[in-house]
Amino acid sequence: MIKSIARKEFISTLRDSRFMALSIIVLLLLLAATVVGLNSYRTLQEERDVAQQTVNDQFANSVDRHPHRMAHYGSYAFRPKSSISFLDFGLDSYTGAAVFMEAHRQNSANFSQAQQSSSLIRFGEMTVAFVLQMLIPLLIIFLCFGAFTQEKETGTLKILLSQGISLRQVAWAKITGYSKVVGLVVAPALVLASLLLFGRGGFELEGDTLLRLLLFILFYLVYFFIFIVLSVVVSSLHQRSNTALVTLLGIWILCCVIIPKASANLGANLYTTPTKAQMDADVHEEVAKGVDGHNSQDERAEALKKELLKKYKVSTLEELPVNFDGVWMAMGEEQSSKVFQEHFDELTDIFDKQNSISEYASLLNPYLAVRHLSMGMAGSDFSHYTHFQNKAEEYRYNLAQGLNNIQTTQIKYGEKETRLSSDTWKNFKPFTYETPHAGWALGNHLVSLLALLVWLVLVSTVGIRLIDKTKVA
Amino acid sequence: MRKFWILIKYEWLNFKADKGLLILTTLTLFAGLYGIYYGTTELEKQRENIAKLDVLTEHNVEEMKEKFPGEADAGDIGYYHSTFAVNHPDSWASLSMGQRDVNPYYIKLRLLNLQSQLYDTENINPLKVLSGNFDLAFVLVYLFPLLIIGLCFNILSVEKEQGTLPLLLSQPIGLPLIVGAKLSFRMMIVLGLALLLSVLAMVWGQVMPDVRVALWLGVVLLYCLFWFGVAFLVAALQKNSAFNAVTLLGVWLMLTIIIPALLNVYVAVKQPIPQALELTIKQREVVHGGWDKPKRETMDQFFALYPQYTDTTDIKVRFVWRWYYAFQHLGDVAVADLAEAYQEGLQARHQLVEKLNVLSVPVNVQGVFNAMAGSDLPSHLAFMQSATQYHDSLREFYYPFLFNNVPFTHADYEKEPRHSFTSSPDFATAYSGLFKLVICVLVVFGIGFVLFRLKEASVK
Repeated sequence: MIKSIARKEFISTLRDSRFMALSIIVLLLLLAATVVGLNSYRTLQEERDVAQQTVNDQFANSVDRHPHRMAHYGSYAFRPKSSISFLDFGLDSYTGAAVFMEAHRQNSANFSQAQQSSSLIRFGEMTVAFVLQMLIPLLIIFLCFGAFTQEKETGTLKILLSQGISLRQVAWAKITGYSKVVGLVVAPALVLASLLLFGRGGFELEGDTLLRLLLFILFYLVYFFIFIVLSVVVSSLHQRSNTALVTLLGIWILCCVIIPKASANLGANLYTTPTKAQMDADVHEEVAKGVDGHNSQDERAEALKKELLKKYKVSTLEELPVNFDGVWMAMGEEQSSKVFQEHFDELTDIFDKQNSISEYASLLNPYLAVRHLSMGMAGSDFSHYTHFQNKAEEYRYNLAQGLNNIQTTQIKYGEKETRLSSDTWKNFKPFTYETPHAGWALGNHLVSLLALLVWLVLVSTVGIRLIDKTKVA
Repeated sequence: MRKFWILIKYEWLNFKADKGLLILTTLTLFAGLYGIYYGTTELEKQRENIAKLDVLTEHNVEEMKEKFPGEADAGDIGYYHSTFAVNHPDSWASLSMGQRDVNPYYIKLRLLNLQSQLYDTENINPLKVLSGNFDLAFVLVYLFPLLIIGLCFNILSVEKEQGTLPLLLSQPIGLPLIVGAKLSFRMMIVLGLALLLSVLAMVWGQVMPDVRVALWLGVVLLYCLFWFGVAFLVAALQKNSAFNAVTLLGVWLMLTIIIPALLNVYVAVKQPIPQALELTIKQREVVHGGWDKPKRETMDQFFALYPQYTDTTDIKVRFVWRWYYAFQHLGDVAVADLAEAYQEGLQARHQLVEKLNVLSVPVNVQGVFNAMAGSDLPSHLAFMQSATQYHDSLREFYYPFLFNNVPFTHADYEKEPRHSFTSSPDFATAYSGLFKLVICVLVVFGIGFVLFRLKEASVK
């Protein structure tokens, strides 16, 4: 009996031309988004690869220079796009693509896509994730709003129940049928995306990418299932199809349009972001005055001089076996990097707090839950971005200290005219970045993961139980 | 006329009794109030941050005076001393924040080459800017259509479905009067709410009371009318409520989400931006190459631009500031073409969007709001240009010190040029947007009336 209801729903949906038309539109959008995403991914990735290669070559082939000049010449880190970010651009369009890495200064990532677009981008981007997150739920609503109300309106529900089947069984049967329909719409796009990713996309079939893709798909399937059950439950609580539809559309608007925006804005209102200018000034002051606020830069230099003279038992800086400038520079770099990192961590912490409002709001809203998880799996969320920035900073620090070390050991004190051969720079390994693994990405969205599971459990237990309350008459 | 008012009165009673509609309207009201609160606090925050920049500059000058107690070399000052180019918001920006959250509203500048300083970003939370601003413009552009759809989707169909239409029509009133009265009643509610929120936002945000008051209210009015027109058009098809709801929501989805997203893709392909990455990479090469080139070569290049400073003495020492600033300057000159191409690319992209926004009324209206509030891309580009000019004036101020060997005294800090720029509204864009909006409203109502005439009124 359950099977035949499921089959009936499946078949009658396929016969419904209006629904089929909608499905085809959604499917086309999904395919278009895949192609657009892949195309934009390739262009951006190519641009960044070329840029990275250029700066790496420029660094390695620099003319003969003083090492400190090289430290100022610096290098760039271009953020590579994560391989499945073509499915979900996430924050990528709003985060900078390039970090300039030089001595004494820590720069933030500049040149985001959003800065280069007009306000159009604020209306949303056409990505696979966008279709999956917003349009498929709408499709589900149109599919399911009449699940019970139509049976009530035509009086068939009574007949069904007289066959000795329970309300809950009817509900599950319908859910099964609708799930098949949704699967039919979504599956081709997901298969295509996977094929593009591993086939012609030029990506290697890597364990981690595969895991990310599988989880990505899994989270969306759970999300769709939640919407299907939710729609069936709402339908059962109404007597008329119209009111059920309007209620469901209201839920959709609240979940997909209003809450995400409101929660992000509320977060920003609750936790104030310090301005870059203020942060720079604070870092500058702390570095100049000493981290602990006791000895100034000059006093520290004096102390270091004395210490080194004593250590090597000589009376002038010229007699030192090491270059004082290099040692002093290295110490300064260590100090300033520490101060900067503290401020950067503080800023990241504020952003995390702001974003946590959205994370917790996902307990109220499955859309937010799946949005966070999707960005996380696609490698385009905030924590991936911070991870990149930290890696770039790490590289910058090591580069600066490596060059300081060369100055300390290979250049005489006070010698500013010396040029080291360009071969010296070839010893520095260029910046490379590897995306962290899927487990790490998942760990950053435990609240959202929990929220998605809670929703799944709630709709399939409490939700289904509510169906008993429906008035059959 | 009396019949019309009777109908309105009964609509009011219906409305009061319908909890769903009341909730919807109240929700929109609160969303609007939150939007106003958000916009004003956000702008207040920006203003406070801008005010703090003065304190930072003062602080920096104090520090410089301490570091260089007597007469200083202007080269040192130009290197260590920084000032800000500031983009003050227009008072209307609290109603429509536009791109002011993505684009920095101040630029920290030193005398060094400009291009490496021009693109520094502000500390922004990407998740927040991805979600966009919850300002009044958002509430009006996105949520008001939904309110209108919620109020109007069953304007005629509900009477049929409840079987009250034959009863109504048995009275001496015609169908047009019924639809007209119902639509008018809803318009009163929605327009009242929209105008109330707008006026409240203007008072709360203490906007400059100029022609924009009328312009804003006019656009709001027309935009709501457009959506009523769409609802009217769909009602004229005389289908059932579910069909109407789905169709209207589909139109909303197309106009506010799908078409803009597709346009975004189209614009990115059609009008690619010369990457600023290329510019910065090239500039770094030129500027750092400056150290390795013969000094005479650099100076000759520079003197070609500034003949008034030409001298024939060769720089013998390893380092002098005037040579240093000369090759910094030449670094900017070398990428002037790329910088211009980048800015022009952005401008061209915006113009393309302007042209295409006839395809989506919400995009057009958002554009009008941003143009009025001076918070759109062109306004940011104007700020960038103004910052560039400011940097030029800093150069003009410092060069005589550097090249004529004039010592920099404490009194000279006062004479340093300061920068101030306030975003200004772009009325041309606003008026052309308004014109397009009027056409759209007329077209929608026109089609609606034609359909209504063509279609035989059916009671079932």
